[in-house]
Amino acid sequence: MKKFIIAITVALVAFSSCRSLKEEWDPVFTFGENQPPVEKLKNESDLGEYGFSGTWTSIHDLKAMYKNTPLEITSNIWIKGQVTSSDVSGNIYREMYIQDETGGIDLKIGKSSLYSEYKLGQWIYVKCTDLTLGAYNGMPQLGLVADDTSTNEYDTSYIDSQAIIDGHVFKGAYADPVAPVVVDENALKTALSKGFTGELWGKLVTVKGLKYGDEIFALVYPNPNMSHKSTNPENRVFLSDSGTWSINTWGLTKQGYVSLVESGALDKAEVGSGNTRYGPITGRPIDYLTDGKVLNSFGTDAMLTYKEIMVKYATANYVSHYFRIGSTDIQVRTSGYVKFADQVLSTAITSQGKTCDITGILTVYSGAAQFTLVDEPSVSVKVN
Amino acid sequence: MYKKLLLIFAALLTTLTLMFAQDYSGGVKGVVVNRNGRQPVEKARLVLYQGASQVAVAESAEDGTFMIPNLDNGMYTLVIEAPDFLENKVQVTVNDGYVKNMFNLSLTAVQQVTELDDDSFAAFDLDDSGYNDNPTILFGSNDVFNNIAGYNFSAVRFRARGYTSESQDVYLAGVKLNDAITGYSPYSLWSGLNEAMRSKETVNGAEVSDYGLGGYNGLTNIFGNASNVRKGLRGSVLTNSTLYRLRVMASYATGMMDNGWALAANVSARLGGNDWIDGVYYRSFAYYLAADKVFDRSNKLSMVFFATPGERGAQNASTQEVYDLMKDNMYNSNWGYQNGEVRNSRVRKTHEPVAILKYDFTPSDRFQASATLLYRFGKNGYTALDWYDAQDPRPDYYRNLPSYFYDSNTDLNRANFMKWGWANEVWTHSKDYPNLTHINWDRLYNVNRLQEGGRSKYVQEERHVDQNDVNFAGTFKWRAKEWVTLTGGLTARYNATEYYKTVADLLGGEYFVDIDNFAEREYASQPWKIQNDLDYFINNGNARVLRKGDKYGYDYLAHYRNVGGWINGKFTAGNFSANVGGRIGYEGFWRQGLIRKGLFPGYPEDDAMAAKWQAAGVEYAKPGTRTETSFGNSEKAQFLTYAAKLGLNYVIGGNQRVYANVGYFNDAPKFNQVFLSPRTRNTMVDNLTTVKTFASDINWQYSGNGINVRATAYFATIRDQSKVMSAYDDLQNAFSNFAISGIDQRNMGVELGFKIPTYIVDGLSVQGVLAWGNNVYTSTPRMTQTVDNSAEKVMDNVLLPYWKSTITSEGLVQRHHVPSTPELATSLGLSYNINYWFIDADVEYFDNAWLDMNPLYRTDYAVAGPDNVITDTELLYMTTQEKFAPAWLVNFSVGKSWFIKYKYQLGFSLNAKNVLNNRNVKTGGYEQTRIIDNTVSKERYYRFDPKYFYMSGFNYMLNIYFRF
Repeated sequence: MKKFIIAITVALVAFSSCRSLKEEWDPVFTFGENQPPVEKLKNESDLGEYGFSGTWTSIHDLKAMYKNTPLEITSNIWIKGQVTSSDVSGNIYREMYIQDETGGIDLKIGKSSLYSEYKLGQWIYVKCTDLTLGAYNGMPQLGLVADDTSTNEYDTSYIDSQAIIDGHVFKGAYADPVAPVVVDENALKTALSKGFTGELWGKLVTVKGLKYGDEIFALVYPNPNMSHKSTNPENRVFLSDSGTWSINTWGLTKQGYVSLVESGALDKAEVGSGNTRYGPITGRPIDYLTDGKVLNSFGTDAMLTYKEIMVKYATANYVSHYFRIGSTDIQVRTSGYVKFADQVLSTAITSQGKTCDITGILTVYSGAAQFTLVDEPSVSVKVN
Repeated sequence: MYKKLLLIFAALLTTLTLMFAQDYSGGVKGVVVNRNGRQPVEKARLVLYQGASQVAVAESAEDGTFMIPNLDNGMYTLVIEAPDFLENKVQVTVNDGYVKNMFNLSLTAVQQVTELDDDSFAAFDLDDSGYNDNPTILFGSNDVFNNIAGYNFSAVRFRARGYTSESQDVYLAGVKLNDAITGYSPYSLWSGLNEAMRSKETVNGAEVSDYGLGGYNGLTNIFGNASNVRKGLRGSVLTNSTLYRLRVMASYATGMMDNGWALAANVSARLGGNDWIDGVYYRSFAYYLAADKVFDRSNKLSMVFFATPGERGAQNASTQEVYDLMKDNMYNSNWGYQNGEVRNSRVRKTHEPVAILKYDFTPSDRFQASATLLYRFGKNGYTALDWYDAQDPRPDYYRNLPSYFYDSNTDLNRANFMKWGWANEVWTHSKDYPNLTHINWDRLYNVNRLQEGGRSKYVQEERHVDQNDVNFAGTFKWRAKEWVTLTGGLTARYNATEYYKTVADLLGGEYFVDIDNFAEREYASQPWKIQNDLDYFINNGNARVLRKGDKYGYDYLAHYRNVGGWINGKFTAGNFSANVGGRIGYEGFWRQGLIRKGLFPGYPEDDAMAAKWQAAGVEYAKPGTRTETSFGNSEKAQFLTYAAKLGLNYVIGGNQRVYANVGYFNDAPKFNQVFLSPRTRNTMVDNLTTVKTFASDINWQYSGNGINVRATAYFATIRDQSKVMSAYDDLQNAFSNFAISGIDQRNMGVELGFKIPTYIVDGLSVQGVLAWGNNVYTSTPRMTQTVDNSAEKVMDNVLLPYWKSTITSEGLVQRHHVPSTPELATSLGLSYNINYWFIDADVEYFDNAWLDMNPLYRTDYAVAGPDNVITDTELLYMTTQEKFAPAWLVNFSVGKSWFIKYKYQLGFSLNAKNVLNNRNVKTGGYEQTRIIDNTVSKERYYRFDPKYFYMSGFNYMLNIYFRF
């Protein structure tokens, strides 16, 4: 029997230790104090291991490489810049602006809450190799090669793979936030005349003496789940060319949108775009005959009016408010998901005709200047 | 003279022969005892063979003694059988007409082979999915089917007859202890106390127990008191390759002492990781103290106190894409390295003591009664990551996977090879990217450290379900006449379970803030509306700042009350017996919100509060109008519950019986099945009703000559079930709740279990089990969808037309099945028992297991897609229920024990499961409650990939025990 006892003991030891060399008794964290080390920020000497040759390319020179078609960068190009945007309010989303003294650029890091990891003023080093330089309606962007889809409208796609971010975007030292560039109408006109390479685009800018234009632009979709494309005009309602449509908030939250529609303020807005019009939103979708069945674009919602469909499928919406400096228009575009979307524009601006100074990221959109507020209006908009 | 002498001698010889024949004939006697503890075994069946001929049959008495007289000299084989024990055979020689005293004949308990309890199942992390996956635990008892299926089928999370574990009644010391709020079986309360909780009685199906009328899925009563713990000092060491590395256990029991006391203690520790699932570990302990005091022949008092404090890491489900990329179906996304240590984000931490006081009153042999008071209390926490306005930290979040970047289906609009390539590189070389394929704790800490003022973006929360559960059960058993026995009892339950969460770890930050970050997205400009604790905000002007250990998020009590009574009469007439029983009761429950949530403030309680609310801009409904509220008591859900049972039993020739049971049950739904979103408000589903069950079974059982067979056919319908599933929906950016009502199902099938000696090799038997069921949904339920951060109903009472079936393009109807268990489960094997050796080898086959269904995919909304047109392709794609592939498994067990110096016992059992190392056996999973709507065509929706759990490959459990 001794043999059996010995055999059992040996078996127990063997079984319980057969994985011990690997990970059987790996230490397991059990809520003790064992905090990981503080992240080490990169300096230029650290970048060699990632292929940095010691030469920086300015943001201006990088943008100058763009020749109206997306440029997939294959050479060893590095840029550096300071963070000028924050997505804390939500107005900037899945992108980050950096700038050096020569210009700014939209870095399309496709992640949310970037402000949690990248601080205003922090130096960022970007290995541009394998990234793609492109434009969105004239605005320079640095992202990845565009999606190869039939519906793609963009030169670039988001850098939303963490492995790619880790290999291309490096966090450098913290520094004071960048002071905005104060811009007058002439500077704005100069930038607009230069187009893509205008050094103001993508920079943190303050424009002084702006006057409210008493006009907004918004494009809403009665059923946002259906196609947004221009090929489906029945799902488009343009709010433009007719004042503010009683919209006095920076953006339209879902609740704000519902209230607006239900108030009747949009009753005269027309469904459709271009030459294809379906009448005001108070009407019903049109019926058509397919395979002997009466159908319409809104299926089971066919008995509802467009207006009722808009309420049923309400979501938050962008609003662009027009401002003017001299003879130059600037749109201030605000998402309905922004934390300050429900805030009402100051009546001193909208009713009393006072001018204001606005600070934000200046972008260009189809040849026009556009502002994106980084911070909430109490900080970004100063009434004169 | 010579003739006279011859006659006298002949007469003397004849007289002596006759004398000896009457007074000195041979025989066998002895005492049948349990090999563990030497306690007598009552009603053991002893069959004596001479060659192939059966010579005699006897039964052991209450003290285990037996006697088989009047035997001729010769060689005999004595076969001893008893319920719950392995059969034993011994050789007996009767010489010279003496009665051979065999002294102690020991039997080995069946359960010694198995160590089945809550530990036998990995803790599956389903909290965020809305699904539950609690397997049924079948105990051996006096049943050949359960003996074999109970252990062998546990690996595939087999559920007997397709019923949920909630329907299995589990009693402790005569008290029904299924969770008051969820109905789940409470085995985890005593896992690790195997010695203390070993003694139990089980009935199957709709049979009636002495401890309660029971339901339709069996009843197990665990005695748990000191005198039922095996006498002596015991120690065991167990190593296990699937759950924990080491279990050490010790127990001591005095048995009933001369002074009327019986004392017992049991302690254990379960420690370490395992071979298969990284991040799953145990650091669990258990203690048990009990005392019985017998005052006189009629009165006994039992006191028990036990708990199983500790923590265990949980396993998470992932999609097949992740498993394939990792080349590991056991991948667990819950953990990551922190300073070189494995840290699991999902850890269950419990310490829930149970105290029992039981009084037994036995004034006569014909009447016995007992009264039990049981109190459960303590903490039950489950950690998880929580984050505010930060990136999703889960490594297998769908946007981190290759499929998010490329799919061959162009309608999904995913066509970026570069990104696909990078993601694929990461997931196929996970060892090079541990921070991307597991939780990146370093990053979470560093993000928190970066925030101004130290406001944590990521925290580890601990979700608590802390029970205050007081139970009373009084039972009696009265043999009124020789032919009639009455059993019955009264029950009462008070339960107040607090649901809340605390900040378990600030992960390097200084504080967290008590706001609803999902609501913030919708109502950022209305700060009162995003408060988790509106009263605090109004009184202090800011949201509560949270430190480690603070409560936050939600806090409510689930109240449950229950009183009832039951009675059963058993009537015997010759070989025929019947029982008729019934129960009636009241069940009520409600929610009591302990904090007022900004989204659902209800009404101000007085003018002063109204003034404060108005000053803060709080919008609220006028008193008298219907509104959803988070604070205070909800309406009470109240139900009259009742059930009736009839059982018929006919014994044929001593070895066979035929019996049948039928029952009707009108049961209350559970708390967790009726509140739309208990974390946020008091609202219940509309049209609350009871669950109606009709269950029946007919059985044939044979037990004799070493043969044990049970065959059963069953049929049941369960109507008007309801269910609430909650899942995080990143499309809604909120927790979404799906309340389904009107679920009907029909379960029917057969069960066969057998163990038959081969008669070729002594001690070798053939054993097997067949369980075949057809368990399908039979109704078209309705569903209401809500989200936590809005009072609006996303879908209101919509039909689920594809819940019970799918219609193929050929017009065929595919029925949808009750999920999470194989409907076909078979086992065939050999069992060899001799000289205290046992060796079992079994081959198993499982088929017809189905994936748990998501109600969203069974709506017209999801099937039709954005264009509102339902096509055959969409219908089949969206509504079909996935069937798991069949699986073969081979298991092997061996064990042996030795006595040392007639005093000590040393033994071992080794169970090797899944010897073929089959790593592709799905044991469960669920469909994600989300749809892909970002398509090119805008004509249809797509499903998210389902998530699965898999069974581990080859694994073993080695138990070495020492007793004295």
